[in-house]
Amino acid sequence: MKRLGPFRVERVLVPSGAWVLTVSLGAVAAALVAAGMIFWAFGINPLRAYAMIFAGTLADRRAAPEILRQATPLLLGGLGLVLAFRAQFWNIGAEGQLLAGAVAATGVALFTPIPAPWLLPAMFVAGFLGGALWGMLPTLLRLKLEVNEVVSTLMMNYVALFSVEWLIHGPWKGKTAFGFAYTDTFPEAARLALIPGTRVHWPTLVLGIALAGALAFFLGRARLGFEIRVLGENPVAARYAGIDPVRTILLAMVFSAGAAGLAGVGEVAGIHHKLLAPGQVSLGYGYAAIIVAWLARGSPLAAIITALFLGLIYSSGDVMKVTLQMPFRVTDVFNGLILFFLIGSERLLNYRLRWAPGGRPVETADA
Amino acid sequence: MLEWVLTAIVRALAVSTPLLWASLGEIYAERSGVINLGVEGMMILGALSAFVVAQVTGYPVAGLLAAAAAGGLAALLHAFVSVTLRANQYVSGLALTMLGLGLAGVLGRGWEGTPLLNTLPEISWLTYMGLLLAAGLWLVLHHTRMGMVIRSTGESPAAADALGVNVYLVRYLCVVFGGVLAGVAGGFLSVAYRPSWTEGMTAGLGWIAIAITIFAGWDPLRAVAGAFLFGALFHLSFRLQAWIQPEALRMMPFAFTILVLAATAGRRRGQGAPEALGLPYASGER
Amino acid sequence: MRWLTILVVLVLAGSLAAPGIAQQKLKAGFVYVGPIGDYGWTHAHDFARKIAEKKLPWLETLYVEKVPEGQTESFIDKLIQQGARVIFTTSFGFMDGTLAAAKRYPNQIFAHASGFKRAPNVATYMADFYQVYYLNGLMAGAVTKSGKIGYVGAFPIPEVKRHIGAFALGARAVNPKATVHVRWIYEWFSPTAAKEATEALIAEGADVFAFTEDSPTVVQVAAKRGLPSFGHYSPMHKFAPKHMVSGQLVHWDKIYVDFLSKVYAGKYTAENLANVDYWWLLAEGAAELGGDFGMPINPEWAGRMQAVKVGTPDLGRLSVYDLVMKRLAQMSDPKVTFEPFTGPIKDRKGVLRVQSGKRMTVGELNTMEWAAPGVVGPWPKEP
Repeated sequence: MKRLGPFRVERVLVPSGAWVLTVSLGAVAAALVAAGMIFWAFGINPLRAYAMIFAGTLADRRAAPEILRQATPLLLGGLGLVLAFRAQFWNIGAEGQLLAGAVAATGVALFTPIPAPWLLPAMFVAGFLGGALWGMLPTLLRLKLEVNEVVSTLMMNYVALFSVEWLIHGPWKGKTAFGFAYTDTFPEAARLALIPGTRVHWPTLVLGIALAGALAFFLGRARLGFEIRVLGENPVAARYAGIDPVRTILLAMVFSAGAAGLAGVGEVAGIHHKLLAPGQVSLGYGYAAIIVAWLARGSPLAAIITALFLGLIYSSGDVMKVTLQMPFRVTDVFNGLILFFLIGSERLLNYRLRWAPGGRPVETADA
Repeated sequence: MLEWVLTAIVRALAVSTPLLWASLGEIYAERSGVINLGVEGMMILGALSAFVVAQVTGYPVAGLLAAAAAGGLAALLHAFVSVTLRANQYVSGLALTMLGLGLAGVLGRGWEGTPLLNTLPEISWLTYMGLLLAAGLWLVLHHTRMGMVIRSTGESPAAADALGVNVYLVRYLCVVFGGVLAGVAGGFLSVAYRPSWTEGMTAGLGWIAIAITIFAGWDPLRAVAGAFLFGALFHLSFRLQAWIQPEALRMMPFAFTILVLAATAGRRRGQGAPEALGLPYASGER
Repeated sequence: MRWLTILVVLVLAGSLAAPGIAQQKLKAGFVYVGPIGDYGWTHAHDFARKIAEKKLPWLETLYVEKVPEGQTESFIDKLIQQGARVIFTTSFGFMDGTLAAAKRYPNQIFAHASGFKRAPNVATYMADFYQVYYLNGLMAGAVTKSGKIGYVGAFPIPEVKRHIGAFALGARAVNPKATVHVRWIYEWFSPTAAKEATEALIAEGADVFAFTEDSPTVVQVAAKRGLPSFGHYSPMHKFAPKHMVSGQLVHWDKIYVDFLSKVYAGKYTAENLANVDYWWLLAEGAAELGGDFGMPINPEWAGRMQAVKVGTPDLGRLSVYDLVMKRLAQMSDPKVTFEPFTGPIKDRKGVLRVQSGKRMTVGELNTMEWAAPGVVGPWPKEP
């Protein structure tokens, strides 16, 4: 039990949501101060810089929707990873699963005769299955052969990347693409609706939010959700409870990889309307989703907030590039700093300040 | 045929040098229980430091020393966050990669587009030192007390702690060691392999080093084989283009890794990850 | 209070008059697809931007690098918000975004590089150097001892394919048995891949190198083995002063200065750009031969060029050096009296691709997928 002036520092096993939020915001603020030094080093007044970032993101009617647009794949991918991480399956392969979903959706959009009202749902189903399939191999390798999933999912990312390259340069190269590496553009029926006046493909976003709610319910109430949680937190207890790890992890990964696949569908059907270079389909969303999932600390509903937060950070980076004319790598410095401060503040979550002035002996249960 | 094999060996040696150095460092870090996904960030910082110092002083070796320092410093940050603050190691590593790439990109502005004046040859003492290092590290890990201490902090830090081992210190040292080696690996790129600086020039090699670490079953000697194999496949993916589709070849090294992992699955009992890998340790806690 | 009112009135009057004064300066925004530190495409555009800014005192520029294709419009919005009145989008992938933005800003002027769709306020422009590649090919044919020329290619798209095609045609014009061995790396920027591809080509016996990759890696690798090479896009001579024979250089500033001057003079407006398409080559000064500015052939190699003699149908028998300089002059002439892609040309499979006496049109050049004779290696989507 430590004292800090009139405060008493106590350990807390499970921090309250409010405390998590406070600490997180404090960490972000500290990071912004540190990042302010970067602005200062570039000869820019940090306060002015932040004012411009605010003006260019949240306060800008045209730019604010971009945050939603960036957050959409992060949310879907992040939800999938929340589940995978809960089951202690370190799925680093969301990037490849996203691409697999994009490929599946493209295939359905361009090469199947499915008529208009069914085309988009079919694309989403195909995307989910595509992503799920892509995640299956590493899952089975881990479950049956104990192959470490970090390396197998990582390798699958590269395989996916070059597979997409093969498709857009070879069999799927568009006849209308002037020889460039794109597929043909999707028909109207395969394009997602946009919020008028913006470029936000809202069906994917709504899907993400709905999925967040469903996942929260599932983890809390459904039997399989319970099994996943127990398996992740205490594998020994799970075994005693008769939970089959193979079946449980398999199903968890089907969803996890499938969710990433859905993100891929959103990108090709909502933004690009074609399949193109893998580095353009996914701007590292699969890896950013890891951060989204971690920040959400296992809560699907919190993932909505963390995905938006990351979208905001990306948008701020864009403003920095244009308005402040800073080199593009500065956004990585920003993101890295914010992450580090957030990580560093994790410890603080397990402590609590209690007002106890004057050395009054306070009865506490956790002495 | 002989020429094919000889060329492949030479190229494999060259490409495998940075991979080997980086993965050897990562092996030690992970053996002590800390996973470091920031290898890419440490490598690129090493590459920049090595280039700048080598360019300014005219001595490539000075550049490599600077690279080692840069990598070590970056790893120190990761060690602090992972060991002292006991935070999530995966995310800390990712943040380090981001920060490293970002800093290198921003600080390296202006150093691009100039060739390095004094360079090191590719297959140089760095390569041979890498091989010797692998042998030495293997010896230390499996046949010395220090190695046993390191392994115990990774397998069961509580038991090690009870036996009087300073788990925190061991982990700090191993992580920083990993960073030093990763920095040198990056320095090799900008001083010997392709003597110049461009932002992002590590191009994912750090991630491949991490994969090799796991692929090698956390064993330094097997890391040599892993790095070599990857280097050979990478080279062949260009050599074989006259007969096989280029995209298929580009994905070959990665697909091959998975194949080999699956095929050697049975024989790898008892060579899994260190038990406590990725789990923060707090002295006094169960 | 009265002085305050006067002040406010003055300020208001001043701000109303300001547009007139502000119009003296023109702000242009540049949207880049890559980093300006790459030693290739984006670097060249940025280099040109700086030259234009220096040359045109009334020009102010903004730029944003590494823009993902899906975010074209978003960044265009931001640039326009910062006051840019002319927007240059420098990658094919920005096409749809540029046109969509152009619809939303009918009073803004846009120019799209390497595209083919235009609008009343969207022009297109391209600086290509396939002609320079032909000249490089002539030199490569003279320089190679093994007859095998190496080419490290980024992506198998028509732009790269026509460059390789011109290169091969040039090589064969000097050495009818020469072969151009192609290896694809599937990245615009990857020093590691470029290096290993070059090494693989060296192992196959190639002894002269050209490439499409945004770094001087191929040059450095070749020079380390004492092998000659041709620089690409940016002046790479300093990376191999003894081993660089020549190369291709680009002057995007010629197009930028021309276009911006016309905009400033009111000649180009947001209504009359539908037919403005720059396809600028040697004659317009958008491309240049050489590994460094002002040095078409590295003096170290001049002797070799002069020693090798070759026969031509229209110029008789002359040294490669003279041939290169003559062809350069012919193609730099506004009348363009020589065109490498003049028929009859058969592709490497023997199919006739260009009719006898005819020249390939710009459209055909832009969609070229076939491989010229002498090209050896994988050729995705070969017709």
